[in-house]
Amino acid sequence: MEKLDRLGWAADLCFTAYGLRIGIRVNQPEVLEQLADYLPPGWKPSAARVVDRLYSVKIGGSVRPGIRNFHLLYAGPSRLARTMVLEGILEALDFDLQLYVAEKARRRVFVHAGVVGWRERAIVIPGMSHAGKTTLVAALVRAGATYYSDEYAVFDAQGSVHPYARPLGIRDGNGDRPRRCPVQELGGTPGAKPLAVGLVAVSEYRVGASWRPRALSPGQGALALLENTVSARRRPGAALDVLQQVVSQAPVLKGARGEAADAAREILDRAMG
Amino acid sequence: MTPRARVDELVVREVEDETLVYDLKRHRAHSLNQTAALVWRWCDGRTTVPEMAQRLQAELRLPADEEVVLLALDRLGRSHLLQERVTSKEEAVRVSRRAVARKVAMAAGMTVLLPVVTSIVAPTPAAAATCLATGQSCTQNTQCCSGSCLGIVFTCA
Repeated sequence: MEKLDRLGWAADLCFTAYGLRIGIRVNQPEVLEQLADYLPPGWKPSAARVVDRLYSVKIGGSVRPGIRNFHLLYAGPSRLARTMVLEGILEALDFDLQLYVAEKARRRVFVHAGVVGWRERAIVIPGMSHAGKTTLVAALVRAGATYYSDEYAVFDAQGSVHPYARPLGIRDGNGDRPRRCPVQELGGTPGAKPLAVGLVAVSEYRVGASWRPRALSPGQGALALLENTVSARRRPGAALDVLQQVVSQAPVLKGARGEAADAAREILDRAMG
Repeated sequence: MTPRARVDELVVREVEDETLVYDLKRHRAHSLNQTAALVWRWCDGRTTVPEMAQRLQAELRLPADEEVVLLALDRLGRSHLLQERVTSKEEAVRVSRRAVARKVAMAAGMTVLLPVVTSIVAPTPAAAATCLATGQSCTQNTQCCSGSCLGIVFTCA
């Protein structure tokens, strides 16, 4: 770490998010401006000099004709990424930072899920990556729901969901990285206040399926959420306390779904009922 | 036979009439339905199987017999929630347990009596996060759903 500290750092940023203090230092000040898009929702600048996690971003590039240095990213003393593509470094920072916050957040439990608001209640769609959560969230927003998140359901101790409304990561189906799409592009608006949960829909896309879900018992519903909880191993007691609240206030439905637009209508109908 | 429940390294929470159990040693979580939860609660090293059957009958107001208790003990044992698994006359017991499950399942209104233990493996933080699919460009292993960021051009395996 001392070796890393001795490198020339030109600028830094310290902020708090979800009770954690995080620092980022860079060797080129202009990079700090680009980083703003990658910070967790609700971050606040901080004057603290001691942080829970320190990222170091060393921009490489051309040093002289024919010689290029790698761009490097460190978390503490550990190197996370080394690449010639600046976007790769920023995405690696984004990935690690979001995951760190999701795992270590104080007083919040992060569940990998899409969330929308509908008639003053939250609809939570837990699921693994590539299960079609973002597509379904986008369809729900187009159908009039308020956007809360396409990545994490952020629960407080009472089981209410808080907005984590980053731009949606929409995949175009060609294997490329997701395109960041502000919810306004879909004609939607981001949610601003915490909501109690009205429905948990455990669903995975299957060609030709139509959504005929079965109700899970509260215990099985809690397991379905725990299976997607980032801090499940680190703080299982706290996670179970929160999930217990969620499943005792909302039904948990499970079933394969077909096209997102059809499933969105069915989910909104169920959420009303 | 007086089975004893495991108590060490478990986090236990009640959800209505079910019980959630997190095994800190194996990082597995279980949901016990009412029958399984009751039997597990009575595994104190003193209560016998016939006594558990009587209590179950009184608690659920359904004709629970020793076979139902043995089925519950079998499922609890497989989930490592007993200090020692119940292994008496293994093969015969397994056959009769399959039979009792079928018998109970077929009797109208009796499926509630069947002990059910649903289990999952708790995810690692990276497993519960958004990951990149095969062929997508990456910079570190944890970004990939496969856990492998490979090659000269760095793509997810």
